[in-house]
Amino acid sequence: MRKLDFEVSLVRPDRRVKPSGRLWNPSADVYKSDDGWLVKVDLAGICSDDLEIEIHGANLTLRGCRRDTHYREGYIYHQMEITYSRFEKTIEFPSPIEGASVARDYTDGFLIVHISTQ
Amino acid sequence: MSETPEKVQPETIPNTTETQPKPTEELRFSAQSNTEPFEIAVLALQNLTLFPETVVPLGVGRPRSIAAVESALATQEKLLGCITVRSTNSDEADAAPADLYGVGTLVMIKRMERAGEAMRIVVQGTERVRVKEWKQTDPHLRAVVQILPEPRIVDAEQVEAAKRNLQQMIQEALALLPNVPPEVRIAVLGSVDAVRLAYFLGSILNLGVEEEQKMLEADTADELLRLAHANLARELEILQLRSKIASEAQTEMDKAQRDYVLRQQMRAIQKELGEDEGGEAAEAELLRERLEKADLPDEVRTEADRELKRMQRLPAAAPDYHVIRTYLEYVLELPWRKASEDKLDLAEARKILDEDHYGLEDVKERILEFLAVIKLRPDTKSPIILFVGPPGVGKTSLGRSIARALGRQFERMSLGGVRDEAELRGHRRTYIGALPGRIVQSIRRAGVNNPVLMLDEIDKLGNDYRGDPSAALLEILDPQQNNSFRDHYLDLPFDLSRVFFIATANQLGPIPAPLRDRMEIIGLAGYSDREKLEIARRYLIPRQTSENGLTGGQLQISDEAVELIAARYTREAGVRQLERTIGSIARKVALAIAQAQSESVKVEASDIREYLGPPRFYPEQARKELPAGVATGMAWTEMGGEVLFIEATLLPGGRGLTITGQLGEVMQESARAAQSYLWSHAAEFGIDPIFFKEFGVHLHVPAGAIPKDGPSAGVTITSALASLYTGRRVRSDTAMTGEITLSGLVFPIGGVKEKVLAAHRAGIRRILLPQRNEADTDDIPEDVRKDLQIIFVSRISEVLDAALEVLVANPPPAPLITDSSQGSRRTEPESIAVKPA
Repeated sequence: MRKLDFEVSLVRPDRRVKPSGRLWNPSADVYKSDDGWLVKVDLAGICSDDLEIEIHGANLTLRGCRRDTHYREGYIYHQMEITYSRFEKTIEFPSPIEGASVARDYTDGFLIVHISTQ
Repeated sequence: MSETPEKVQPETIPNTTETQPKPTEELRFSAQSNTEPFEIAVLALQNLTLFPETVVPLGVGRPRSIAAVESALATQEKLLGCITVRSTNSDEADAAPADLYGVGTLVMIKRMERAGEAMRIVVQGTERVRVKEWKQTDPHLRAVVQILPEPRIVDAEQVEAAKRNLQQMIQEALALLPNVPPEVRIAVLGSVDAVRLAYFLGSILNLGVEEEQKMLEADTADELLRLAHANLARELEILQLRSKIASEAQTEMDKAQRDYVLRQQMRAIQKELGEDEGGEAAEAELLRERLEKADLPDEVRTEADRELKRMQRLPAAAPDYHVIRTYLEYVLELPWRKASEDKLDLAEARKILDEDHYGLEDVKERILEFLAVIKLRPDTKSPIILFVGPPGVGKTSLGRSIARALGRQFERMSLGGVRDEAELRGHRRTYIGALPGRIVQSIRRAGVNNPVLMLDEIDKLGNDYRGDPSAALLEILDPQQNNSFRDHYLDLPFDLSRVFFIATANQLGPIPAPLRDRMEIIGLAGYSDREKLEIARRYLIPRQTSENGLTGGQLQISDEAVELIAARYTREAGVRQLERTIGSIARKVALAIAQAQSESVKVEASDIREYLGPPRFYPEQARKELPAGVATGMAWTEMGGEVLFIEATLLPGGRGLTITGQLGEVMQESARAAQSYLWSHAAEFGIDPIFFKEFGVHLHVPAGAIPKDGPSAGVTITSALASLYTGRRVRSDTAMTGEITLSGLVFPIGGVKEKVLAAHRAGIRRILLPQRNEADTDDIPEDVRKDLQIIFVSRISEVLDAALEVLVANPPPAPLITDSSQGSRRTEPESIAVKPA
């Protein structure tokens, strides 16, 4: 039976558009630790200059920019699957974390953020 | 922050740093952080506008576009400007900067893969940019751009309202779009940001570059949402319309498809079951085709279609299958709307009637009157005529002539012996072997809905506990009701109002009054001897001659011979026996001619005995002389008229009135009335009252085997009794008829013509008729009339004056006690004085 696919005329067939935020956002795990929270972000290749951490109320916002530092003059990209450029990630906690002490470090390519509320 | 990139290693930054929000730093990475113009590679987009906050896959094929992407990939942030080409430009040529809009979107390339020469990229729109200055066009476009601020909200409430409105409309649109991926649904419906929602709509709807660009360039959220709303509303309307059309088309197609598939399956199943493949399906198909072609009224078509559908569901072995098939065939064969054209040439009609029938002037006149009415008012309801008359006078053939004169189909159905209403109206289809009634069957045979339909022998309808067929006829013959006659079998209304009904009957009596009331009664009396001769000459002899293979010259029958046959070899009012008898003569002549004994034969009266044997009938002839107590009466029978004799005799010492001769109640009562009248007027007529006290009377009417009834013998009985009591004979040349009353009046009777003809045949030349029957004597043929002396009477005394001879022939027996002083007018009995024992 012939399908009457009238949808195509309305939603453009050449565009599989998806809504997104303005910037990309990396994946993150959040642990409840003894003294607060531990946030593990899948965010390799960031230099610490390009990373900002902001705490506002119960929200932790990580902002920054991943730059491709391995590109050299004369290289030709064959394939690109890693997202560069600016990112923004906001994690909401069940309780305010303002005033907590925050420490960060890199372990095995993960950005680890310790939030101590005590 | 002062750490170098090298230090950003897991090991090198174990130290915890107190991180305080730093406004200046923060601006570096947040949205719209960079308001300074910067230079960037630009990708020209054909027929497409990218909006911020959307992720879109793109195919890149043109060398200049690939160069632009390559250039962007060579940067650390992989940023690219995407600017749409104005729609007026052709797709072919590489666009010049002037052909591009001034506002585009800054995107980050998230992924890239090569596909031969071309590449596929996935980009995410981040911000709107305005072109400040074009830097180069080759090998790819390059421009200085400045990031534009996010559309600002002027009236927050209005924006919120517009957003909710949009969401509402999106809900409606999504309901009509089953194939939209679920993540899109969630994203759209869950979107809290009005601007993001509008941008997404702009990119997903097929608005055309110009509209999209307008949305992209909108500087306020108010404007952006207004545009989004207008566009979505228009699209929704189109969508709804399309969806409606599409779903209608789909339903139509689905149903046809489904029917087809099911039919195929059914056929396969039937084949598996070993049922005659093609047989019933083809049969049903054939019926369907015929139904489609047939000219049926709506109600009939609906019912027929329903039955056909029922039939198709049944296997051929089911009993109902054949019931329905027969039914449908019946429905198809009936002339629901087919009618023949009337030809209404009155002169022609007259000619046809004259050709077929001799005489019957007044009947023909009535028929022509009906035809004239039909001619003047074609939509008039057909009349319902009843011909009443003895057998063989041509009632049925008159019907045929009417049909011929009108140019209509003729159908005849005999109602004789029909005693079940269902025979007329059919049986309901629930009964096995049910059929439509005779009316519908006749219509089907006729093939048109306006035939001349003859209901023969309507007076012979039976009726018993199974129903009264005459009641069904009431409906059929009612012009007000019969336009929707419902046969039990058909169970559909059929219009009988255009049928020309002609009923025939020998007698009016047995026909129920309501039925009689519906019909125009035309009486056909018997034929006189002279008319019979004429009919024989014109129709019967030529017809029998040719039917028996003779030619006109080979058989001639003289008038005298015909008269002899009519009088002595037949006894009837009509001419049926006469024709049969002429036929038997014709056969004998045919035999003689076939055996070459003779060339041609002329049959004379003297030859009749040779052909037909001795005469079969000796009609009651006027008796030469009647003894006292006997009178000549006239009776009407279905055969025509009869002469009968009423005999009365005194029974000395007996009592009362003995009546024999199979007389009916009415006749017995009129005998009693006659006796009572004479008794009460004994003195007036010179009757000795002793006769009434001392003598019984026996009244007999031959022939004894034939039942008789009716009041018309009243005057005859009175005459016979008066003759008996007075001894004055009744004149033997006189016959009489008439009903009497106890007060001595004579009332009119029926069947005058037949009675007079019979009397004339019997040699009577003097006839007493009631005064009020005078008008009926116009029917009597002139040749008979002139032989007769007809006396009209209105009182019994006039009857007796006219009927009784003055002289006493056989004086009545002397009473036991004779008192001469009683002064009777009667002559004294002298010769006989019989004493009762």
